[in-house]
Amino acid sequence: MKIVRSSHSAVHGRTSTWLTAALVMLLGSFILKGVASAELTARANHDHITIDFFYHGSTVSVSGVSDPDADLVIKISAPEGHQALRKKGKVAGLLWMNVGNLDYEHVPSLYFLTATKKPEDILALEELDRAVIGYPALARHAEVKPVSDEQDKARWFDEFIRYKEASRVYSVSSGNITRSEKDGKHTYYTVFDWPYQASPGDYTVTVYAVRDKKIVETAESHVLVEQVGIVKRLADMARGRGALYGTISILAALGAGFGVGLVFRKGGGSH
Amino acid sequence: MYLYLPVALTSINILVPIGLGLAVGLLSGLFGVGGGFLMTPLLIMFGIPSTVAAATDSNQIVAASTSGTYAHWKVGNVDFKMGLYLLLGGFIGGLAGVQGIKVLQAMGNADFVIKMTYVLMLGIVGAYMFVESLMSMRKKKEESPKQEKESKIGAFLKSLPMQTHFEKSGVTHSLLLPVIFGGFVGILAAVMGVGGGFLMVPVMVYILRMPMHVVVGTSLFQILFNCIEVTFLQAYTNHNVDFILAVLLLVGSTVGAQVGAVFGRKLKGEQLKIILAVIVLVVTVKIVFELTMSPSLLVSQGGGH
Repeated sequence: MKIVRSSHSAVHGRTSTWLTAALVMLLGSFILKGVASAELTARANHDHITIDFFYHGSTVSVSGVSDPDADLVIKISAPEGHQALRKKGKVAGLLWMNVGNLDYEHVPSLYFLTATKKPEDILALEELDRAVIGYPALARHAEVKPVSDEQDKARWFDEFIRYKEASRVYSVSSGNITRSEKDGKHTYYTVFDWPYQASPGDYTVTVYAVRDKKIVETAESHVLVEQVGIVKRLADMARGRGALYGTISILAALGAGFGVGLVFRKGGGSH
Repeated sequence: MYLYLPVALTSINILVPIGLGLAVGLLSGLFGVGGGFLMTPLLIMFGIPSTVAAATDSNQIVAASTSGTYAHWKVGNVDFKMGLYLLLGGFIGGLAGVQGIKVLQAMGNADFVIKMTYVLMLGIVGAYMFVESLMSMRKKKEESPKQEKESKIGAFLKSLPMQTHFEKSGVTHSLLLPVIFGGFVGILAAVMGVGGGFLMVPVMVYILRMPMHVVVGTSLFQILFNCIEVTFLQAYTNHNVDFILAVLLLVGSTVGAQVGAVFGRKLKGEQLKIILAVIVLVVTVKIVFELTMSPSLLVSQGGGH
């Protein structure tokens, strides 16, 4: 089992803090602000999900150590990217059909968020935007084309969220992080239903410790979803060797058709 | 029991595709249609991405139509000669149809034109077959006035060059006739993105005047070749064929096609026509409903353009 795990400490060791901060700034994603009073860690129990023939989704629990006084926000997301969707509209005032395409930029294919309290209540607007926490922040972060104005964008972004939630790959909730204390250590725990609709890929789990409307610490872990065995071989072949894959599919279908025909001839006695 | 589909990237209860295959295969063996107009929307309903649903269905139809053609061939109900000319026309028509789609897309509003063509075609064909088979069931004994009515068209068809006799069907036509009408169905099928069995069957019955039982076998024969071509192109260019889903579907559909062929022999031509007409009309009504009711989601998965 492969474990990808990282945690940042702002207290232990100034050099490492500076190094980490420099790296983070270089990557342009997070800037560590403030001083935390405890070490925050994150661990996903199921960091390597394998897709075989009998895969029907999984669960991912995220746990770790945290400062008991800080609020927590836990986010699992896929890398940001582009998604093209078809847009339905009324034609001739009566008929619903596809009336064009919508391009969504900077949106992850999967976005799960949970928090100890509603993120909008515990974080300042700029912090929500900086870390892209919650649907409104994601909406401000994303681009939607073509739209006529902000209102139109909001409308089609809402439709995007509804579509993603229906496909079970977007969800936002709060209040379902369990916190406990054991041997003086304060821990947290939450579990996500991992939908079989989530495609193979590398997903990032980010845990934010929040205090005074600010993110004071972050810890990261990863969930790798991978196809294995025959599932992987078939998927690779369909993508990489289309001609061979197509030929095998056709021959198998012809064989099955003839085979069943022969079976019926023997057993049927229809005339 | 659930199985994961490697290309569709989703998990499905295996009873669903096997059951769907059985039902649609039955129709295929009975009426000589591929059943794509039923299968593709049903697969989408069960969470298969639309592009994968259409491509995989064509792979499955290869198996169902092989099974069905074999069953009909055993009792001498496949006119290979007619089938080959229809295929030739269908192939040329398909190429023209693909260009037609490009023109429509360049003009914009392609979806509207395609959807409307589809609904109108289904509606007209279904209604015509329904009324015609109902009338012929009622007026079975008075066949003479009907013959006279068509004599004008019949005379024109007879005047075309390259007349040849199609033994299995017991009809004499110009070779151009199956090629032209096969081409016409090919164009429409390519534009609408369907196999066209529901158009080919009426063409053979009403224009080529073939007996219904030979129509079913011959239609399956030409569907088989069309779907081999489509499956290959889909696998090669779009990578949309899900082999596992196709296998699950064909387990049901190959058996269904055999059962359908046996059942079909027990029914009369008119009975077959009227049942097919009702199915086509029901599908038309369903599509009209979908077009007029507000959808629950206003965005859907993008196509592979």
